[in-house]
Amino acid sequence: MRAGLKLPALFIGAIGLLVNAGTARAQEPIRIGVLLPLTGPLAKNGIENWEAMQIARDMINERGGINGRKIEYVHGDATSPTAAISETERIITRDGVKITTGSFASPIAIAVSQAAERHGVFHWEATGAAEIITRRGFKYTFQVGARSGRYSQAAVDFIVDSLAAKLGKSASQLRIGLLWENRAFGKSVGDGVRDYMKTKNLQLIYDEGYDQTTTDMTPIVQKLKDVNPEVLIAISFPNDAILFQRKAKEFDFYVKAFIGVSAGYSSPDLRTSIGDIVNGLFVSDFPPRVNPAVLKPDVRKVADEFYKRYEDKMKRPPAGHASAGFSALWALFTEVFPKAKTFQPDELREIALKLDLPEGSMVNGSGIKFTNLDWAPDPKDAGQNLRAAVGIWQWQKEGNVQVFPKALATHEPVLVPLPTWDKR
Amino acid sequence: MTTIGQLLLSGLLIGSIYALMSIGLTLIFGVLRVVNFAHGEFLMLAMYGAWAITHFLGLNPYVAIVAIVPGMFLFGMVVHQLMIAPALDKPHLVVVFVTMGLSILMQNVALMFMSADLWDVPPLLGGRSFTFGPFYAKPELVIGFAVAVASTFALRWLLKTTYLGKAIRATVQDSEAAMLMGIPVPRIFLITFAGGSALVGLAACIMMPLFSVFPTVGLNFVLIAFVIVVLAGMGSIEGALLGGICIGIVQSMSSYYIAPAYGQMFFFILFLLVMIFRPDGLLGQKGASNIGIND
Repeated sequence: MRAGLKLPALFIGAIGLLVNAGTARAQEPIRIGVLLPLTGPLAKNGIENWEAMQIARDMINERGGINGRKIEYVHGDATSPTAAISETERIITRDGVKITTGSFASPIAIAVSQAAERHGVFHWEATGAAEIITRRGFKYTFQVGARSGRYSQAAVDFIVDSLAAKLGKSASQLRIGLLWENRAFGKSVGDGVRDYMKTKNLQLIYDEGYDQTTTDMTPIVQKLKDVNPEVLIAISFPNDAILFQRKAKEFDFYVKAFIGVSAGYSSPDLRTSIGDIVNGLFVSDFPPRVNPAVLKPDVRKVADEFYKRYEDKMKRPPAGHASAGFSALWALFTEVFPKAKTFQPDELREIALKLDLPEGSMVNGSGIKFTNLDWAPDPKDAGQNLRAAVGIWQWQKEGNVQVFPKALATHEPVLVPLPTWDKR
Repeated sequence: MTTIGQLLLSGLLIGSIYALMSIGLTLIFGVLRVVNFAHGEFLMLAMYGAWAITHFLGLNPYVAIVAIVPGMFLFGMVVHQLMIAPALDKPHLVVVFVTMGLSILMQNVALMFMSADLWDVPPLLGGRSFTFGPFYAKPELVIGFAVAVASTFALRWLLKTTYLGKAIRATVQDSEAAMLMGIPVPRIFLITFAGGSALVGLAACIMMPLFSVFPTVGLNFVLIAFVIVVLAGMGSIEGALLGGICIGIVQSMSSYYIAPAYGQMFFFILFLLVMIFRPDGLLGQKGASNIGIND
């Protein structure tokens, strides 16, 4: 009796499974490998990026996905370059993923794109900025965010076009200092600042690299005090940025204007850590939020939804790299994927190379136009986005506001020259 | 001249902080012959504790000492009983892997509960310094220096004069003979490991107003701590103070006069030189690495 019941039940069950498998295939999700540092020293920014990227996935899936196919992420914990390579390999070989993205930090981006290229996998780099990412002759790597040289140029252009006049000097009279953390990103931006300053005939009176795990900023601040620059450009990560600012206050080291570059100075925690002395600092980075007037009307709506969701989830507005993570994936979902049929790397590459989107097409103000061995300054460059937005924003009382370039700006720069430490 | 003076002063002060954070490691290494690779994570845990007490109870981080030091003593006892003691009579590699595993575990648990955010406590005097003529010194660093010197001498006194200290030294010299004399060697190990952990707790409370805490903060300090222990003459407590200060000064001078990126390289050069010319460390006795804590 029991056996009699069991057999038909099994049969029905099996049919059910088959039917399910059939429908599942029709709506098979598009799987993307997301490589970000989710643990370890870079986890903080990695997790912010991951949140922003998940919002992009949720928003596109709620809109019905790509022609009915949902987006699915397979994530890997790319804690360090070595881990990044093994995680990328794992995602590609075990999960069969053909599209990867990531990676927050340049050293991770370099490693992930290398592993992806080896397997002929399409890599859509949202935030990694080192110049070398697009200089290795890779076929399938696309750097959607700005290359590091653009951060450097933004900082220098800001001095020339805006700060100098506010400080009542010509730019070439200003005594400028440059402090950089000596890993891939910091060195790359530092090199860019030095080279670009030469073309603008500016005076560099201090130029030093340091290790971001340093536990003591005394020698650096002491030397800066001795050489006494008027404007300082510093490329730092969060922990060293905090140590530096505290030591500067402790030693009463004063500059008239301070431009921090990226992660350390754009981290939303900086205000909690160092308090009101953060007000007045400038940051050269991906724009966290640009003037909505530069965005295309449909992009403006997406932007509003993204900022609202991010703030609801994280209880604070996104930093520039998180906005960049969202923007890059949203562009992938809405500009690349709808044109794809096979979703094979070669096809995606063709589509990406044909993109020609003006500035303001992406949530963070960027457009898209990739190089393909046709960029005059370096003909070996391929996959660099020439229209990625970078600008200067400032820590002000009411939050992080975009101040440069004019087109993207929502506010005027204030607190130039900076007040002395006791008045901040 | 002012610059050199300032660099010496700053090197001395930060070096004493390095020393303070290495004393616990020195003690544990000197007695148990165990290299605790989770030392940095003990520091991280205690810093989170000090931060929590300051942040949630609104107390001064120095007040947190009364809770964190005993708390870390207990934590040290638990770790010793569960992980260190069972590994002590196994090949040396076992204890290396046990403490390394613990280090990774603690980092990831911290990441799970505290996220990767940086947490700080407000500095004293609103982050300003004392000034002595042209020289600046942060009050937190001056307090740290005083605590480092005091703990070094207190620990030395304890080892030299108290019964416990004598029992510890006897255990170090010959644990079998000590056991035959009625010294409870396993308990001495337990107390030493817990005591070393408590010292890390003390260091954490002193360091909390100076540094941010995050899950991997230990990694920034642990290498310095290991260098100090070896440089000092393994197991030498005063050596740790001297070694810490040397490293602080070398780091600050070389960073200023040569390049900040090479600060670490230069204290490793110092380290290698000491190892070549005084293989037993600055204040170590001959064969210190085999004998353990000094007399």
